[in-house]
Amino acid sequence: MEAVKTQDVGVNDLPWKIEYHAERCTMCGSCVAGCTFKAIKVEVQKKSMTHSEGSVPTPVHTHIAIPIIKQVASLTDFCRGCGMCEKVCPNNAIHPVRNPDSRKTLLSRDAGPIKRGGRTNLNAQRTLDSIIVGRISQMTDPSLDSARHTFDIRSPFGRVLSSKELPFEVVDGKLVQKGKTPPVHFIYPLIFSDMSIGALSTRAWEAVALAVGYLNEKCNIPIRMSSGEGGMPGNLLKSDYLKYFIIQIASGHFGWNRIIKAIPHMVTDPAGILIKIGQGAKPGDGGLLPSAKVAEHIQAIRGVPKATLSSPPNHQGLYSIEESVQKMHLSMNAAFGFRVPVAIKCAASSTSVSVYNNLLRDPYKICGGFFIDGIQGGTGAANEVSLDHTGHPVVSKIRDCYLAAVNQGLQGQIPLYGGGGIGMTGNAAADAFKMMCLGANGVFVGKILIQLLGCVGNEQGRCNACNTGKCPTGICTQDPRLVKRLDIDKGAQKIVDYVLAFDSELKKLMAPIGNSSLPIGRSDALVTTDKAISDKLGIQYAC
Amino acid sequence: MLKIETMKDNERMSTQDLLLKIEDAVKNGETEFDIAASGQHDIGGPLWNAEGKKLFFHVTNAGQRVGSMCLPGTEIVVDESASADVGWLNSGGVITVRGDAGDTAGHCSSGGKIFIGGRAGTRTGSLMKHDPLYEEPELWVLKNVGSFSFEFMGGGKAVVCGEDAEEFASVLGERACVGMVGGVVYVRGKIGSYPKNIACSELDENDINFLSGGMGEFLEKIGRTELREKLSRWQEWRKLQPAQQNAAGKTDDVKSFHQKEWVKGGIFADVAKDDFEVHNTISTGLYRLRVPTWENAKYAAPCEFSCPTGIPTEQRYALLRAGKDEEAFQLELDYTPFPGSVCGSVCPNPCMEGCTRGTIDEPIQIGELGFKSSFLPVKPPSVKTGKKISVIGGGVAGLSAAWQLARKGHDVTVYDEDEHIGGKLEQVIPRGRLSHELLKAELKRIESVGVKFVSSYKVDKEKFASIRETSDAVIVATGGTKSRFFPWEGKEHLTMGLQYLKAINRGEKPKTGKRVVVIGAGNSGMDTCRGAYEMGAQTVIAVDVQKPAAFQHEIDYIESLGGKIVWPFFTQKITPEGIYGNDGRFIPADQVIVSIGEEPVLDFLPDDENIQKFRGSWLVPNKDKSVTSKVFAAGDVIKPGRLTDAIGDGRRTAWYVDLFVMGKSIEPFPEKQKIPAERIGKAYFDKCHHCNLGDAADDKVRCVSCGTCRDCKMCLESCPEKAISRIEKADGSWEYVSDPNRCIGCGMCAGVCPCGVWSIDDNPEEIKMYTTGEKVAG
Repeated sequence: MEAVKTQDVGVNDLPWKIEYHAERCTMCGSCVAGCTFKAIKVEVQKKSMTHSEGSVPTPVHTHIAIPIIKQVASLTDFCRGCGMCEKVCPNNAIHPVRNPDSRKTLLSRDAGPIKRGGRTNLNAQRTLDSIIVGRISQMTDPSLDSARHTFDIRSPFGRVLSSKELPFEVVDGKLVQKGKTPPVHFIYPLIFSDMSIGALSTRAWEAVALAVGYLNEKCNIPIRMSSGEGGMPGNLLKSDYLKYFIIQIASGHFGWNRIIKAIPHMVTDPAGILIKIGQGAKPGDGGLLPSAKVAEHIQAIRGVPKATLSSPPNHQGLYSIEESVQKMHLSMNAAFGFRVPVAIKCAASSTSVSVYNNLLRDPYKICGGFFIDGIQGGTGAANEVSLDHTGHPVVSKIRDCYLAAVNQGLQGQIPLYGGGGIGMTGNAAADAFKMMCLGANGVFVGKILIQLLGCVGNEQGRCNACNTGKCPTGICTQDPRLVKRLDIDKGAQKIVDYVLAFDSELKKLMAPIGNSSLPIGRSDALVTTDKAISDKLGIQYAC
Repeated sequence: MLKIETMKDNERMSTQDLLLKIEDAVKNGETEFDIAASGQHDIGGPLWNAEGKKLFFHVTNAGQRVGSMCLPGTEIVVDESASADVGWLNSGGVITVRGDAGDTAGHCSSGGKIFIGGRAGTRTGSLMKHDPLYEEPELWVLKNVGSFSFEFMGGGKAVVCGEDAEEFASVLGERACVGMVGGVVYVRGKIGSYPKNIACSELDENDINFLSGGMGEFLEKIGRTELREKLSRWQEWRKLQPAQQNAAGKTDDVKSFHQKEWVKGGIFADVAKDDFEVHNTISTGLYRLRVPTWENAKYAAPCEFSCPTGIPTEQRYALLRAGKDEEAFQLELDYTPFPGSVCGSVCPNPCMEGCTRGTIDEPIQIGELGFKSSFLPVKPPSVKTGKKISVIGGGVAGLSAAWQLARKGHDVTVYDEDEHIGGKLEQVIPRGRLSHELLKAELKRIESVGVKFVSSYKVDKEKFASIRETSDAVIVATGGTKSRFFPWEGKEHLTMGLQYLKAINRGEKPKTGKRVVVIGAGNSGMDTCRGAYEMGAQTVIAVDVQKPAAFQHEIDYIESLGGKIVWPFFTQKITPEGIYGNDGRFIPADQVIVSIGEEPVLDFLPDDENIQKFRGSWLVPNKDKSVTSKVFAAGDVIKPGRLTDAIGDGRRTAWYVDLFVMGKSIEPFPEKQKIPAERIGKAYFDKCHHCNLGDAADDKVRCVSCGTCRDCKMCLESCPEKAISRIEKADGSWEYVSDPNRCIGCGMCAGVCPCGVWSIDDNPEEIKMYTTGEKVAG
């Protein structure tokens, strides 16, 4: 007789159920030893039965106790579906199975709102997958050969002046620059974005940075990486590789003490500055770094004690669009002698076009880019209500902003970068291509980078435990025991290989439409089988 | 020889007319053609002689695709230059162009030979391929070719001789061999860019044999035999062909960049010490996620925890399993002087209610086990401390404290106003529930360790002061001696339950009615009912305002005698005829006895502000059980409780009194946490039939041994890494240890331990990986 109450939590209340095959299990202990969430345990189960032997009823009683692996029925130590148990099991005896009957989210608010990492799990539907590159050069004009043709795959990062505004004059028959121009770098249209030191482990952050170094130095791919809001590694600030990195400043201003102190020691300028106003995963909410991840170096770099770090939803000194545009851009431009482009990142919103219009009107020409982050962006920690229920799809927002600029004849002057879910279904090149056809100058990615490093999380509720400090892959944790699981070189190589393939794939899409330069605004290249998308984005409807 | 002029009187023959004319002639057996073309396309194929004779075409001024789709047996000679697509899809013809060829020469040729005596245009050799059923195609070019040559080449041999091509940066143009997957391109002269997956290498013997074998025919066809020697300096030649795929080498790319070119020591070297070693998902030692700990007897078994006296029965059974029966029975006496009178007789045995075994089948028979220590003698203390301790009150609390303190070597005197020491055990508990002989034996045993009993000694203020003066410590343990009741109407008709029971035990046969009502249905109420029946009552009814608090077996006993319990019943008034409830109910009775508990009488204590009381009656001691200087309290003077509560409280008070008189620092009375039920492995134990319970001592097999190692070796045998060893000590005790260098922290030991001795917890050892960094000047 078991003493179980109906309101006791059972494994069927949890999002993942452990499927365990006792007959295959050797009790090697690997699954339990490797599970960072304590979601499984060793337990002894009894088999007590009376059977009959012989030709007449002759009760024979047997009782054996067998050790097994059992799922823990707990709302705190619950299985996240990461599958490390399955990975380490030598006999395929155990694996998690998604439980459609889970009551976990309903029951888990005893300690307040649910927090987790990852992406929205509720609004993971994709506009980009309903869009096809449908304008293929056939008899009309020759398509290009993606392998042979020379493609110009560069996007501006920085404020681009119209030709009339360029300060040139002719002196003695020669073209001479007579005034200053804003700094503009031509970079790869794929930016590694905004995962902070703190959200990521030192190894994970360094692996992404290493891939950036390699792609620039060895592959002629001028890819840039944004630091995220947790400061910059000290040795990177003093290194020549700094030129490949965009330093972010967010509302918490974390890490800027050490960045400023390093300025006199810098041997080169950073690639840019990115002012983060908001992010797509949790728009209107500030950054969040749970105490479990605030290790000693994070405390030092950020200048805080071990505590859960919530960044304010706004920059404390900014009270209007004008101030954001002027005050913040001016300060950041000034910090590096007006040599470094300064861009701004906002969560996609119904108001994005207003923001972009304000930036375009800036008379000082100091805004070097507008980054729009959609609802499908990832995060290391957020309230689930923000992840799942707030935000804005990025695709139409990029389109709206681009067309707003076109209507004023200002397109291309403040580069538009879109992110949030780029590469979510696997092909970032296709996503990037479509975003560019709709008006983006480039895209930024974060989640797929850690997925390439080994992150097993996804938007179907797998893992998403980035906020716990127990990341099984050593990526989103500061626990040395877990960090040491991550192979920097292997991870960086994976990113490098992906980007090299991205480059080829981008060409595979540019070639058929006959573009040898990036197809910014070439919405004629896209068709959709969804009439609503066709109407909203102004692209051809096909069926 | 059929000679065809395609221009007559400024009239040009169309390609269609020319090709149909040739086709007709071939069908008619013509094999040799001399065609003066005017740019007509596709001259040369696919054509064949029905008898298999060779076809020969001499062509001038050919248009595009001369020699296209040629079949074996066809030879075409073009004297001067030809336009684009020479030999397009050539499937076996020998095609010679003595001058230059246009773009895409040899495109998709899969057989035969194409000889170009000059240069060839862009995309020459594109998509050449080789069907293994036939000879592979050859394409020979004397000078050089345009850009994008040999794209997507899949087979065949191409030869670019580099003659008269010094002015070109590359004899293959730019970006040759893109997409090339098969075949080989021989080149003499400068080579420009080609993809990474194409290998450029020296010629080997086979290559030279091929080239020297074919060179003669080529030069002869194009009429340049004088170049033979110049073009045969093989060291000037190279070949391009698809490289062997080397996937393994690729993974090292980033790694070697990391090692050789990246920021030295890593970008986080200032704040994170990292050797960059990559650990397996499962680690041992320092890097285990969790570590096991053998925590023998850290937790109290449920029996120990539920016993207010705190008797560790699981330890007694551990000793019994080890064959140390005597020690096991003596262990009981370390906790109580009344194993027989209380544990084995009147105690409701809350220990058994908590027993884990009771959740499997039947609880361990702990009361009966206690009884086995009833008549066991103990050794008096070997060393006397000389400290004098007085205990006021000879009930179980006082005697428990006296027992503990005397065994520690203190001089203990117990004062009691009654004629007999023993408190409620002696005075109140019906003899039917407790053998008087047993009680007397256990009281004797208390005296045997040196406790002095002073009975019939009523302590008043003066005497108390004197006792306090002459003692190192005084323990007040006079218990509850005054029956409590409420100011009901007719309260003067009440009989006081405590006095009534005391009189019975003194053998006085107190006055008892025929119909008795007892107010209060707790355990003492049931004792009162039992007493009334023994004194001759015919019906006894107990009333209570709430569900009876007495133990079920006490209620059952009274009911078996014909008694009844009525509740809820709120007494309103008592008359000589009976008792009225506030709801108008009337129960006729000759006698109403009140038995709703007692309160202490503490008039002997000094008027001392330090002495705190609850509701003016009960003492509120400090944490160390003291109530004022040198004066301590124990038992029902603090709070009404069961006998076992009083024994436990006496033991607790004795702990603090000992520390006090010995001048030691005050350590809290040792208490263990109850072992969490989920730590215990009940699955090992098969359910027994309730009829099959044996002797209490034999329950050593049934006892689960919660929290205390039963030395079963399950952990040792189950550990997948064989990390656990059993270490036996000189005194016969043992210890299990897990070797950190083997242990992976899987928790198998904790999972299989039946007793819940092993814990598996987060690895507590800190790894000092991160720092704040070092201050840099400036």
